[in-house]
Amino acid sequence: MAKPAEEKADNLTIEKDVGQGLPPILDDDSFGNGNRSNGGDSDRPINSAVLAMLLFIGAEVMFFAGIIGAFIVLRFGANDWPPPGQPRLPVVVTGINTAILLLSGLTMFKTKRLLKDWHREKILHGLTITALLGALFLAVQGFEWTRLLGFGFTLSSNIYGTVFYTLIGCHALHVLGAVIWLTIVASRLRMNSPAYSANNHVGIKLSGMYWYLVVALWPVLYGLVYFN
Amino acid sequence: MLDWLPPSISTVGGEIDKFFYVIYYITTVVFFLVAGTMIYFLIRYRYKEGREVKYTHGNTTLEIIWTVVTLVALIVLALVSKPLWSKIKQELPPSSTVVQVTGKQFNWEILYPGPDGMFGTEDDYQIDNLLHVPVNQVVHIKLKALDVIHSFFVPVLRLKQDALPGREIMMWFEANKPGEYEIPCAELCGFGHSGMLGKLIVHSAEDYDAWVKSTWPEN
Amino acid sequence: MSEAAAVKDTPIEHAHQGFLKTYIFSTDHKMIAKQFLLLGLVMLMLGGGLVMLLRWQLAYPDKPLPLIGISETYMETGETETAMDRYWDEQFSKPEKEQSWIATRMPAGVISPNFYNTLFTMHATIMIFFVVMPILVGCFGNFLIPLMIGTRDMAFPVLNMLSFWVAVVSGVIILIGFFVPGGHAATGWTAYPPLSADPTWTGVDWGQNLWCFSLIFLGISSMMGSINYITTIINMRAPGMTFMRLPLTIWSLFIVAILLLLALPVLTSALAMLLFDRMAGTSFFNASGGGDPLLWQHLFWFFGHPEVYVLILPAMGIGSEILSVFSRKPIFGYHAMVYAMVSIAGLGWIVWGHHMFQSGMNPALGTTFMISTMVIAVPSAIKTFNWLGTLWGGNIQFTVPMLNALAFVSMFVIGGLSGIYMASTPVDIFIHDTYYIVAHIHYVVFGGSLFGIFAAITFWFPKMFGRMLGSKLGKIHFWITFAAFNCTFFPMHILGVGGHMRRIANPLQYEFLQQFEGLNIFITMSAFTLGMAQLIFIFNVFYSMFKGKKAEDNPWKANTVEWTAATPPPHGNFAEIPTIYHGPYEYNAPGIDEDYLPQTSQATIATDGNGKQ
Ligand code: HEM
Ligand SMILES: [Cu+2]
Ligand SMILES: [Cu+2]
Repeated sequence: MAKPAEEKADNLTIEKDVGQGLPPILDDDSFGNGNRSNGGDSDRPINSAVLAMLLFIGAEVMFFAGIIGAFIVLRFGANDWPPPGQPRLPVVVTGINTAILLLSGLTMFKTKRLLKDWHREKILHGLTITALLGALFLAVQGFEWTRLLGFGFTLSSNIYGTVFYTLIGCHALHVLGAVIWLTIVASRLRMNSPAYSANNHVGIKLSGMYWYLVVALWPVLYGLVYFN
Repeated sequence: MLDWLPPSISTVGGEIDKFFYVIYYITTVVFFLVAGTMIYFLIRYRYKEGREVKYTHGNTTLEIIWTVVTLVALIVLALVSKPLWSKIKQELPPSSTVVQVTGKQFNWEILYPGPDGMFGTEDDYQIDNLLHVPVNQVVHIKLKALDVIHSFFVPVLRLKQDALPGREIMMWFEANKPGEYEIPCAELCGFGHSGMLGKLIVHSAEDYDAWVKSTWPEN
Repeated sequence: MSEAAAVKDTPIEHAHQGFLKTYIFSTDHKMIAKQFLLLGLVMLMLGGGLVMLLRWQLAYPDKPLPLIGISETYMETGETETAMDRYWDEQFSKPEKEQSWIATRMPAGVISPNFYNTLFTMHATIMIFFVVMPILVGCFGNFLIPLMIGTRDMAFPVLNMLSFWVAVVSGVIILIGFFVPGGHAATGWTAYPPLSADPTWTGVDWGQNLWCFSLIFLGISSMMGSINYITTIINMRAPGMTFMRLPLTIWSLFIVAILLLLALPVLTSALAMLLFDRMAGTSFFNASGGGDPLLWQHLFWFFGHPEVYVLILPAMGIGSEILSVFSRKPIFGYHAMVYAMVSIAGLGWIVWGHHMFQSGMNPALGTTFMISTMVIAVPSAIKTFNWLGTLWGGNIQFTVPMLNALAFVSMFVIGGLSGIYMASTPVDIFIHDTYYIVAHIHYVVFGGSLFGIFAAITFWFPKMFGRMLGSKLGKIHFWITFAAFNCTFFPMHILGVGGHMRRIANPLQYEFLQQFEGLNIFITMSAFTLGMAQLIFIFNVFYSMFKGKKAEDNPWKANTVEWTAATPPPHGNFAEIPTIYHGPYEYNAPGIDEDYLPQTSQATIATDGNGKQ
């Protein structure tokens, strides 16, 4: 993100562009350009919104570290794992589902590469596909959950159910949030919102970063929870 | 300050107190050095119009010296603490006396295995809050909790161990002075936590035999 | 945003906003700072009030409180003597459900055991999460970061405002807890399950739930705050303000923000599990359901230890700042100070087990945690030595902020040294969960953080409110507080050495604690004095806010950038973004006429033969 030298001279306008299309709480524009451009090292290494997103992801990772830590303590503290008489978790279906989610990571990766040259249509296309893959992932998860619940396997049925639904549920909620976010970004892009343009697409980038988080977390959870 | 320590009646109590004293002396000296230096500086360099001030940003050699000295001192303290800690909490000297103590709101439930030395048999004897042990013998305590976390604390033995629901923790001690002592609970366990109190009765050899006889008369 | 360009160098124009935008939903970091300060001070009075009740009970267990309790006559003869007697008479004739708030918690004016537990739980929760954090991190983080690094505001002003209001929501939730049936949380600020995980064990139902919710909200608030702080410090520094020219206050806040960002989510995850256990029938912490009570302790202290450094680090930064200013001398070992704080932040993650030595955790782990804990005491020692080095050869002015900063240093030394006893595992067997720990906590958090807060408020008051804080009252407050503080908390070491457990409502129930009755009464008297003395401070703050002497821009002749701003700084802080030429602590530099050298001054320091500045 190091700024090219020629931009420095006029970093007022550059910075200005970068700020648009962001969630309102990440809008740092209360002084017009005054704050963002005048303050700060002239060679600021990283865009503020991107940095904020990275930090937020750091916090999310620690949250998951907390529940994954709990899982590890409980799983390795247990005598039998899984406890006898529990339904088998759908390893294969979820494996396919894992592939779906990883694929969505790939489509997001491709989409983000298009940002620089601003192929608006293709970007929109990429975002839509990514969001759809995410939604498909959620649908499959939901379907498997209803089956498991049908077996009487619930959050409170035993510690196995507890950790399963907590870990997988927390992740699913995050995927849901990410899908909603992508949907909003995609529809704004579709409506030709002035929020995004060739040299102003941090808003899209942030949603992509968050998407990477939910994709990257999944294989870890899948490996931990589904394989005994 | 350490005069306030309760009397010690266990074999390890004196060793713990020794550490207490050593740290006490070291920290007291350090404290008076630091506080003394500070007060000296405050008086010596108190504000005076036009006083010449030493313009310095620090001294790397000094930094290294005091870092290394404190680091070494503290690590040494940790290393010498370790054997005693292991002796108390990790090793388990053999013993023929085992008692099960279960913390429950708000009593210590004491279970003696009886003459057969086994729990869960006919001759078990259970009573709340009275822990009878012989003097000068290693006693094993099987520590459990029924409901919430409690903490088995015997100040005169310098012994403290939390009792966890769902776990059994083996502890040991050897009391070397007959008498009656208190066993408070040291971990918040609810509104009755204050006053959750058992009694440790350390018997002399004869007394202990008498107590055993009166408790299990058949044998 | 077409006016944006025009506004760029005249940010002051934004000042004319409506009442709501200026005082309530302000996005100005200075107003948010004041809001946090107000929140903190109000909560300080509440938290302090709670502990007065608690101290009464410890000195005079199960005796009716003065004023509201029943009279002796009534107790002995049953005759109502005072108005309160008649009140209690009336209350007791009612069925329990209809009795008043006070009657269910303090029947006849005697603190009930459950309410006692609520008192210390809420005292600690409020002091830690709603006093020290809002003031040190919320208020001074907000006030100082933009001003000291020379920028107009936080990176994300709206996020900043939200952070405050979420903290308010959290505060309101915690206050509601006092009024729900079953009473407020009563399991200590550490809330160990299974006690906290199931209402059957305490009788507390929604109180504990609200406690969890409140802290979850506070976690969100802190996360927003810390993201903002970190981004601002990394991205918004004025030209020339390199990291190694940052005031130590900013360094400490920077590190604190990182700790908060990474530690609080772990607490949030634990709180979520606790809520699940309480409300959804899971058994994370319930052994009979396959859970593990120690899991909570690991998660809690993994958060908890970084958290205690969150409480002290800003005070360390502020203390360094003030020591240097009033010694008229550069801080001794600036780099060492920075590295010490950085290593505290690193080591802080691997010492949590020292709170769990006696918990039933594998004793082999205890040894590991003992070693890491010993190591983490080193940076604190380094800082102390550097503070002494700063005083050495200075020209020390005993202003009110300086007095408080000196108290901070000396009290922190005691707190740090007492930590070493507990770090040694065999000694900790005896003093764990006794008043020794209580003494330690208060020497670091009251002696450290709160004196740091007093120092900070008295130091930056002129810049915040444009008026000087009354220094006579400031000194009176300081000396009473300092004396009463030591009389209150030092004897607690003795209680601890005597084996006096913490969190017990009535020490007289124990034979071996009878001897401490007198000491407990003494502590209580000192605590009352200490509490009363804080009213002086509160009065002084609010009186000076409106009636104090008008302050100049730089009353202490300090170097850091905030003193170059107008007083109080307008919306947007600086007429022009400053450029930084020097480190923050160039006092009495050679070749400079004045005894201070603002960071923005272009004057150059004469270098000596060694090429050192
Ligand atoms: C100088 C190095 C320090 C060392 C070696 C140290 C060591 C310890 C140890 C071993 C404990 C656990 C004692 C027990 O429960 O048995 C403890 C508790 C505690 N420490 Fe420290 N500490 C240090 C500094 C601090 C600082 C700077 C703070 C906060 C500002 C702090 C705040 C606390 C608190 C609040 C507790 C009690 C928590 C509770 O159980 O409620 N400590 N400390
Ligand atoms: Cu208890
Ligand atoms: Cu700690």
